[in-house]
Amino acid sequence: MNTRNAGLIAKKELLGLSSEKTIVFAILLQVFIAMFSSFLMVGLTAMYDPEAIEGYSTVAYGVGYAGADSPLIDEFAKRDDLILHRMDLDQALAALRERAVSAVVYVPDTPPDAEGPVIVTLYLIQNDLQSSVINVRIKEVLQGYEKELREVRADRMTTFPVSLNFPESGGGENFFEFVYGLLIPLLVLLPAIVSAALIIDLITEEYQRRTLETLMSTPVTFAEMIWGKVAACEVLVPVQAGAWLLLLGLNGIAVDNAAAILLHASVGGLFLILLGALVALHYRERTSAQFIFSTALVVVFLLVMAVPYNPLNLIVRLAADTAGPVHWLILALVAGATALLGWAVTAYARRVGEGVPA
Amino acid sequence: MSLASSIRTIAVWEMNRSMTTMGRSVLPLAAGLLILLVLVTAFTAESGVHMQDGMYRIGIDDPEIARIVAPDNRFTAYLDSGAALWENRFAYDIVILNGEVYAADTEKGRAALKTLERDYEGYVSYVAAKEPDLFAAYPLWIDLQYVKSEIDFLATQSGQQVGAPADTRRPPVPSGPVEAVTPPASAMPISEEILREHLADTGGSHPLERYTGVISGGSGMEQFKTPSELSAPLPFDAIILVFVFIFPLYFTSQFFMMSVMNERVGRAGEALLSTPACPAAIVVGKALPYFTIMLLISAAITLFAGAPLTILLPLVPVILFFLANALIIGMASRSFKELSFVSIFFSTLATSYLFFPTVFANTHVISIISPLTLVVLDIQGDGFTAMEYVYSTTLFFATSIILFYVGITNFREERLFSEKPLTSRLVDFVSAGISREHPHISLFLLAGFTIPFVFMAQMLTLVLFFNIPMPLSLVLLTVSAAFIEEFAKSIGLYAAARERPGFLTPKNLLLGAVAIGFGFLAGEKLLLFATLAQITESIFGSVLFLSLQVLWMPLLLHIAGVLVTGGFLLLWGRQGYGPGLIAACMVHSLYNLYFLMGAFP
Repeated sequence: MNTRNAGLIAKKELLGLSSEKTIVFAILLQVFIAMFSSFLMVGLTAMYDPEAIEGYSTVAYGVGYAGADSPLIDEFAKRDDLILHRMDLDQALAALRERAVSAVVYVPDTPPDAEGPVIVTLYLIQNDLQSSVINVRIKEVLQGYEKELREVRADRMTTFPVSLNFPESGGGENFFEFVYGLLIPLLVLLPAIVSAALIIDLITEEYQRRTLETLMSTPVTFAEMIWGKVAACEVLVPVQAGAWLLLLGLNGIAVDNAAAILLHASVGGLFLILLGALVALHYRERTSAQFIFSTALVVVFLLVMAVPYNPLNLIVRLAADTAGPVHWLILALVAGATALLGWAVTAYARRVGEGVPA
Repeated sequence: MSLASSIRTIAVWEMNRSMTTMGRSVLPLAAGLLILLVLVTAFTAESGVHMQDGMYRIGIDDPEIARIVAPDNRFTAYLDSGAALWENRFAYDIVILNGEVYAADTEKGRAALKTLERDYEGYVSYVAAKEPDLFAAYPLWIDLQYVKSEIDFLATQSGQQVGAPADTRRPPVPSGPVEAVTPPASAMPISEEILREHLADTGGSHPLERYTGVISGGSGMEQFKTPSELSAPLPFDAIILVFVFIFPLYFTSQFFMMSVMNERVGRAGEALLSTPACPAAIVVGKALPYFTIMLLISAAITLFAGAPLTILLPLVPVILFFLANALIIGMASRSFKELSFVSIFFSTLATSYLFFPTVFANTHVISIISPLTLVVLDIQGDGFTAMEYVYSTTLFFATSIILFYVGITNFREERLFSEKPLTSRLVDFVSAGISREHPHISLFLLAGFTIPFVFMAQMLTLVLFFNIPMPLSLVLLTVSAAFIEEFAKSIGLYAAARERPGFLTPKNLLLGAVAIGFGFLAGEKLLLFATLAQITESIFGSVLFLSLQVLWMPLLLHIAGVLVTGGFLLLWGRQGYGPGLIAACMVHSLYNLYFLMGAFP
């Protein structure tokens, strides 16, 4: 196989991409998403862990309190971001509906050492961002009250859990876990999937537009052409993934071991691209090829996720800087599988190439 | 041949063709992959998702405590003597010595601590649930009740915050009517066994697990919770609906897009065009099978999720919208890769338009601009009124019909088989709608027809800027709204000038500007009264639709805007279009800002 010929094909495809301005659309997309990054970050983090929302709000909220006196009032007094108002229940609920207060608690007159439980009724506004914030704060207050009640009833308990003493953590934020454990691997994976879809377009187009004969009349062999297209798609993977990491860096999210992550992404991307090429060579028609490939992609993705030390997990570990040297071993394994697939694609392309009139 | 029968013929033909091209070779493999998918899903469910394994390092001196974190893969636990751990404490994110937890003072250390706290809560619940005296272990239960409160669109005006922060020490007094409420009962209505079962189920759950139960809904048991189970309500559960309902629809529309594209590849559609069927019959006939399939898929998902079938009603315009866009993208793309990228770009925009407003479902009327909000409301059991249906779907119906119309008029040989870049092809599509004999009437109608798209784009900006603090959001809205309007008004003129270079004379420009101005105003008026009355009453509305209060002022503004862009085009040719657009946009923004200042001194 002549690498110069493959290089020529790769260059042709990349030029075609930039002249059709498809790349412009890809960049627009990236910028469009990054433009709303603050909204997305807050929103997505909150989706991953609603308690994180609390960190974004510094306002003190009013809470209506109805029913009997209880130590709960002292628990509320300890917090300066919740202001308790003693009210009648019906007044309080009407105020809640008008958002004059943000939540209402009703406490019954059950004594602390009663046989049954103390049932506190908590009224919140349905499906509301603010309710999520309130919920987190009131939860802490109620946990304090629960602890107090447990102490009152301690003589009725039989076993006790191993006790752990936590330091003051200061507010719930699970930003780190979301960004490093979910966002980064997905963003790095995205270019690999896009490139794999691209190779299918490039190959099936030659068949469906009947441009293959023209191409085959040049000194380029069929296998060289396929590898040229694969190379063009593969180049885009580290470039786009690198752009994401750079954008994250600009947003103040430092990613460790960027080079190693890009290496993993490139090798994994090459695997997917070769898989796409194989499917495209088999079907030679875009609709079928894309359909089969996207279904196969879901299967591969699910399977990979179920295996410990999978490449996505390694990207997480690398980004969080907890990966040991074991990741080189996995990289070698994935590279080996990719090489095997590459061999299969070459062999298949040679066989197909023989059938094409030169 | 009548229209109906030719539509039927084309539809049957489309079904047969896609079955034969896809059928023989694809179906066996697809079936095999489906079986594999089921197997792999089972395997993944068994082995768990290993994405976040080993994110944190934790050093522990007590095997008893190590057992607490063992089930959580996110931790890699190292057992060692206390002294050795203390020596290497910087290698760990968390060190536990004699029951004291020490976390590294980093983002990661705090995140690890948070995760450990949750795991510990789960462990404590697990131990306590075995207590013989349940109410000693769990003395406090929370009865969670949700109250509905929909705020007025006017609430965010003049910087007022949604949700009143309490700045007074006096209890607030409700201004509306107060209903008498009977205080809730103090006895637990649920038996101890059920409570125990419930406790055993929860504890130490992963954050992502909460999303699995959104569609199926909770049991009655959900109402009572212990304080540590009290988790914040899902603020963005509608994203699940996007995945469940919108994604399959988008995926199916891809097949239609591809079918349209395939007609153009190698002039394959020539045979179809030479049949007696008119373009309208061809397009509708080709789209019909996909429309039916999409409807069936939605119905199947709805039945599977146990949701009411009425949620199909708001999904119909979404399906039409996807199909209409698939038609245009399939007709306009030059190559497969362009098709891929453009459709990904479109799907991102469409998804944000559908998804972002649903965040405010139950909270804010703005949410009603997305049909998906109606789906959310319907699943909650609230339903929606006919008026709400009109509000949220009119834009989708209108844009879909116009796009289909554009597709049908351009479904001709010279348009389908030409090799032109995307933008000039789209310009061709527009210029096809401008008649040679009556260009000004065409411009008038074209301007009117762009209105639904303008509204849609402006709604998208409204949704995106709505949460930004007040003065900035208004400025951003003003400028972007002006730009969208000026752009929409100029495309007819631009297309005409490009198609027929001799068309753009000063006289024609003036006449055209007047026609566009009138058309734009008429379209705006018509659609606005039909739909968005609620939004127009707010300050955001007055930014977007400022031009509606007095008739002659906005008319002059619209005409002036077109004149500015057209003047640039006339003087400098096509290079003048960009600068002309910017100049017109500035004039428009200044006009809007001047009136805003006047309205709110």
